[in-house]
Amino acid sequence: MCCKKMKKTLLSLSILSLSLASCDKVSPIGVLVAGTAVENRVKMSELFYRNHYNDKIWLVADGDYTFLVGADSHVTNDSGRMDEMLSIGLRDDDLFYAHLGDIADTKAEYYVTLDSLLQEAKSRYVEKNYRKVNDYEYVSNDNPDESPLMLQYDEIVYPFFPVVGNHDITHNGWALWSNIFHSSFYEIDVIVMLEDGDFAFDHLIFLDSASGTLGKTQIDLINRGILDGKYDDGTSMYRNTFVFSHTNIFRPQFFEFASTFTREETFFLLDQFEKWNVTCAFCGHVHTWDERNYNGVHYLTLDTMCEKNNPEPGDYLVRVHCDSDGEVKWSPVHMDTRKR
Amino acid sequence: MKKHSLALAIALLASSLAWGQTYSGSRAYDGEHRNVIDGTLLGGQNVVTGWFIGETAIYTRHLTDRWSVSAGEQVQFFKQLYSVDVMGTYRLPLGRTNLYFDGRLLFNRYDRWNVNEPIVNLSAYWETDYVDLRLGESLVRYHKIGVKEEYRDYTTTGYTEPLVMTFGLGVNIRPRSNPWNLGLFLRNFDQFYYENWNINWGVRFHATLSAAMKLYGEFNVRPAGSMSQLATRYETSLKLGLHYVL
Repeated sequence: MCCKKMKKTLLSLSILSLSLASCDKVSPIGVLVAGTAVENRVKMSELFYRNHYNDKIWLVADGDYTFLVGADSHVTNDSGRMDEMLSIGLRDDDLFYAHLGDIADTKAEYYVTLDSLLQEAKSRYVEKNYRKVNDYEYVSNDNPDESPLMLQYDEIVYPFFPVVGNHDITHNGWALWSNIFHSSFYEIDVIVMLEDGDFAFDHLIFLDSASGTLGKTQIDLINRGILDGKYDDGTSMYRNTFVFSHTNIFRPQFFEFASTFTREETFFLLDQFEKWNVTCAFCGHVHTWDERNYNGVHYLTLDTMCEKNNPEPGDYLVRVHCDSDGEVKWSPVHMDTRKR
Repeated sequence: MKKHSLALAIALLASSLAWGQTYSGSRAYDGEHRNVIDGTLLGGQNVVTGWFIGETAIYTRHLTDRWSVSAGEQVQFFKQLYSVDVMGTYRLPLGRTNLYFDGRLLFNRYDRWNVNEPIVNLSAYWETDYVDLRLGESLVRYHKIGVKEEYRDYTTTGYTEPLVMTFGLGVNIRPRSNPWNLGLFLRNFDQFYYENWNINWGVRFHATLSAAMKLYGEFNVRPAGSMSQLATRYETSLKLGLHYVL
């Protein structure tokens, strides 16, 4: 009798478990910590992308160009290093500046500080690179006088492109982050004007890996090939592809723990980067420097530029040089700001 | 004999598993049956690979009261994951509890991505009536097969993770020797993988079907991310197996 009852209970438990296993609602997220899951972030990002398709950003480079990469600034009340990164980029005429996530620690006032900083940096950027032609409109200094493209201030793209990090999404930080940057999963094309009048395309891919997984929606979109950029004959339209993602794949040092990606997702990413023919993938998250080449793809994991974690001046940024012939090199960039 | 053969066939065909994690009863030699077969059917959903089903089977031979060896295999369809392993174990009785020292060689083939993953794991497993605890360390190596010829001169195709800590905790609501049991577990590994950080957790049970056979199973939630990263749904699975001694 007792055995029958026990078997019945076990059978019920098995059926319940099977039902749960097949249910999308099963998630430990509600048990451990509340926040905006990667699925929702990517869905919001895709919606934003579709609604702003006509505003898609194209960067234009005249032959050689450089860009600047920084990671894990963890802006609090002290935004010195973040300010320095933007100043360096402006001073040295980098085409764009990429940030690898954990841009600010999650507090509303820190994002207010960050937003003010970016507004001020944009103002300096516009002042250097544009001239005002009337009360409302600007023309790029690179634009020929014959047919200038007139832009209002809000239409000028400040070329600062971040990915979202895990510290950006805790305690509902996504609301703060997305209010400034809108999208956590996006791409940008760089049109490179070559000497012979020809041009080439370089590809920038920004992934949302803040949760230690890309999540089903993002993986499905990638598997559908939305970032592949292929011509009808199957060949890639891109000369170089650069990937920017928060969570690291490789361990910076022998004695440190490796990535938080699960086994399958690690192998999926390594394989996908190879399929995209990625020139260089940039990661952050672990606050330690690492460089390696795996299966033809170069991986750079950047140290944190946060004053709290690295109070002394140091080489916390990376500048990537893309030559007009397509060759890519990188060099460290020194930061002088000390912790206040 | 016929009954034994039938049970053995069911255990192998229905496939299985074990290696001690999923079956939550005692691993110790019972003094009578030197051969143990564990077979499991599993199924679930994974964010990267989608739905999957599979089986595992493990054979254990108790050489003496203290020493045992085992060998196992796993096939996960759709995920295209194939695994084999061998393990040697020494049991040290400590009062009413047992302390096991396991040395294990595991080989995983992630065929979907052409990756081979050999693993060496050393761990200690402490088994009490209500609680079990595993601590250990793995050396994990993975490498890509079929690398493009032009890459070979300047790139690495393999990577070693030398410091992959193993930890696991399980609790039962009844003493381990009870004919049935229900419990919870928390660990950063499963039967055929070892993670760096990701902790999977769930519910497990076993129930005695006959003197020689037990039914066991678990519901496993495997999140992605951990600690300061928000734990996000990654994989959920269900396992059902038979533990057969002869």
